[in-house]
Amino acid sequence: MKVYAVFTLAATLLFSNALMAQTGSTACEPAKLAQKYPTLVGKTIKIGVDPQTPPYIMRDAKDFNKLVGFDADLSREVLDCAGIKHEFFIGGWGGLLPALNAGQIDLFWDDLYYTAERAKQVNFVTYMQAGTGALTQPGNPKKITSMDTLCGTTAAVGVGTVEDPQVRAADEKCKSSGKPGINIMTFPDVAAGTRLVQTGRADVFLYDLGLIDSLVKDQPKMYSRGFAVLSGMAIGAAMSKQNKDLLNAVIDGMRVMQSSGKQKAIFEKYGLDPSLQIAAEVKTQ
Amino acid sequence: MDWLPEFWSYVTAPFLLEGALLAVQITTLATGIGVAAGLALALMRMSSLKILNRTAWTYIWFIRGTPLLLQLVFVFDALPLIGIKLDPFATAVIAFALNEAAFSAEIIRAGIQSVSRTQWHAAASLGMSSYLTLRRIILPQALRAILPGLINDAIGMLKLTSIASVIFVNELTFRSQQIVGQNFKFFTVFGAAAVMYLALTSVISWFQHWIEQRLDPEIERQPKSDFSLMTRLFGFSRGETPHEQVGNPKYSSITTTHALSAKNIDATHTIANISASKTNDASDTLKADFVICKNVHKNYGKREILKGIDLTIAKGQVVAIIGPSGSGKSTLLRMINHLEPMDQGEITVNGSLVGYARTSDGLKPKSDLAKARADAHIGFVFQNFNLFAHLSALENIMEAPVQVLKQSQEQAKISAKNLLARVGLTRHADHLPHRLSGGQQQRVAIARALAIDPQLMLFDEPTSALDPELVGEVLQVIRGLADAGMTMIVVTHEIRFAREVADKVIFIDGGIVIEQGSPADVLDRPKHERTRRFLRMVEAPSSYGEFLEA
Repeated sequence: MKVYAVFTLAATLLFSNALMAQTGSTACEPAKLAQKYPTLVGKTIKIGVDPQTPPYIMRDAKDFNKLVGFDADLSREVLDCAGIKHEFFIGGWGGLLPALNAGQIDLFWDDLYYTAERAKQVNFVTYMQAGTGALTQPGNPKKITSMDTLCGTTAAVGVGTVEDPQVRAADEKCKSSGKPGINIMTFPDVAAGTRLVQTGRADVFLYDLGLIDSLVKDQPKMYSRGFAVLSGMAIGAAMSKQNKDLLNAVIDGMRVMQSSGKQKAIFEKYGLDPSLQIAAEVKTQ
Repeated sequence: MDWLPEFWSYVTAPFLLEGALLAVQITTLATGIGVAAGLALALMRMSSLKILNRTAWTYIWFIRGTPLLLQLVFVFDALPLIGIKLDPFATAVIAFALNEAAFSAEIIRAGIQSVSRTQWHAAASLGMSSYLTLRRIILPQALRAILPGLINDAIGMLKLTSIASVIFVNELTFRSQQIVGQNFKFFTVFGAAAVMYLALTSVISWFQHWIEQRLDPEIERQPKSDFSLMTRLFGFSRGETPHEQVGNPKYSSITTTHALSAKNIDATHTIANISASKTNDASDTLKADFVICKNVHKNYGKREILKGIDLTIAKGQVVAIIGPSGSGKSTLLRMINHLEPMDQGEITVNGSLVGYARTSDGLKPKSDLAKARADAHIGFVFQNFNLFAHLSALENIMEAPVQVLKQSQEQAKISAKNLLARVGLTRHADHLPHRLSGGQQQRVAIARALAIDPQLMLFDEPTSALDPELVGEVLQVIRGLADAGMTMIVVTHEIRFAREVADKVIFIDGGIVIEQGSPADVLDRPKHERTRRFLRMVEAPSSYGEFLEA
């Protein structure tokens, strides 16, 4: 009897969720904040970002006091859609996740990759797939066209990024097949990585595809894109597991952004490939 | 040069200036709080209480030994777990202040310890409390050693605030990084940030120069000098070589002239009326026992210094204590005004136990020893003068009357000038101790001891550190005091002086009184072989004699 009741409850929840996805996501209803997300009334949500990650979040070249970028625009749209007050809380990328866990910020929305490990600490709403781009000197002189062509080159990767283990794996692969290995250089921030390619200290700089594409687009005389691969990872916004209303507000808002085509418009505004969009989804562990 | 306008636009960009202001605010607050806490930690480190010492040591060990970045993240992200949620600015100020406390504690400790222990002894002999001594005597001298280290810390901190970006502090370097993250113009943007940092640290360097001048007693007493901002920043001024700045010929020539002319003063005449009233008081109680030592014992570790001293001194008496080096003479003297504690026995001065209370278990030291010393009115003159190095002759004399006896500045100044006149040093009132000869310093030291209106004067080998030709001028001053009826105990090697001035001579050897009596008895007809042997060794023609014959 008990088992049956739980089953019914679960089925009802699933059904209503599906219904929400279809009906509730058609429009923004900022006036209904108190009805839909009562715990967020009167609260100002702190969005933690590090504005050194173009094209996701960066300073506006015309006015450094403003933040622009794909994640900046998208997060503002989503929270405005629910009628939630918000502010950006600016800090180093490494400090964002600890700050979210400590409750110093409410949302971490800045080119964050979903992993099962991270989802044990926080809830995710994913909305785009991640790719790795290879930034080379103009004209790609070393003919770097895939992970397998990295053997014998000097490759720069960011500390703690998903590219780091990928390049180490490629290095092992080179060595085991008798080819020269990859000379791996790690760097702390994006600007340092681009300088390595600029000065020729590294042949290739592997980083998030969105960033690499925006670099090549802005400075075609300085860089070329060697190759791009989809890493199979998803990018999402993260928030505390306790804050259920915020999770609902973000997933609802993301669905509106996707059904209205707003997300694709923002992709195009910042030179990102619209095909990177994936259906918004709550991911938790 | 077409990069220059863009470069300049970053130097003057409000976005970056706001970041610089934030760095300055954090540095100023954290340095202020940190140095105050550092002073407390430094004092704890020097405390004889083990619990204080170890607590401070553990704190410094931990804070210095762990990364600042970790401390920042801990304060910002771990304290919320126990309900303390601080904003980024407060977190940065606290974490940087905690760090500065640990680092500055050791700088301050080093500075305090660089000031000679004898400055503490001199202040204690004047009845100054530890706190007063620290504030008025030790810190002003220590600050000159402390300041460069603290300024280094402040400059380092200003630049290091950038690591607080991890806790959402948006200061200069982090803002520069964000601009570079957007436009990748690394050298232009960080070059502009460097110019801003340099401007700010230049202000700190200038502040260091200014405050060092304020702290330098020499410069402070000079008319406006050639020291300039240039001197501080680059170590030299325009149009002069560093060599020319050294020394001040005017000062040295004055010192030399007066050292020579000091021989001509009539010390006896100037000192004669020092304390006429005391002579009258003394006649009533002349034979009463004024200073009484009973069975006084003292050990340093396992070494027994005093093995039971008994002696009495009447009011108005001049007593000379003689004996070989290490016999315990000076130790006994220092116990009479409680500069050192006794292990056993009892000393009273005019009926007072000087810092001890009589209990059923015997004598117990009082907690407020400084007040007990001040109330006892016992003047002490040290072998090495121990003048306060940062104060002029006049200020040395005024210090205790103003700070301990709470006289007004004006009143203390008039008295101090009179005392200086009496020791023949009126013209040296504004000179620092190191500009004076040894004999002049000792005369200032005597005037300083007299300024607390002493009922008893203790002299600890007052002429042993002097060049032979300067001994006479000091002994003349002491003799003048004796003539004026001051009760005095003089530890001395000047046998001829003892014979002529003392009412009573006490010979101490091996921690006990071997012989005592009139100078004629002890010095001319000693009963003990040890006394005879000692007198044969020391009684060569003395400097005092040479002085009188000259």
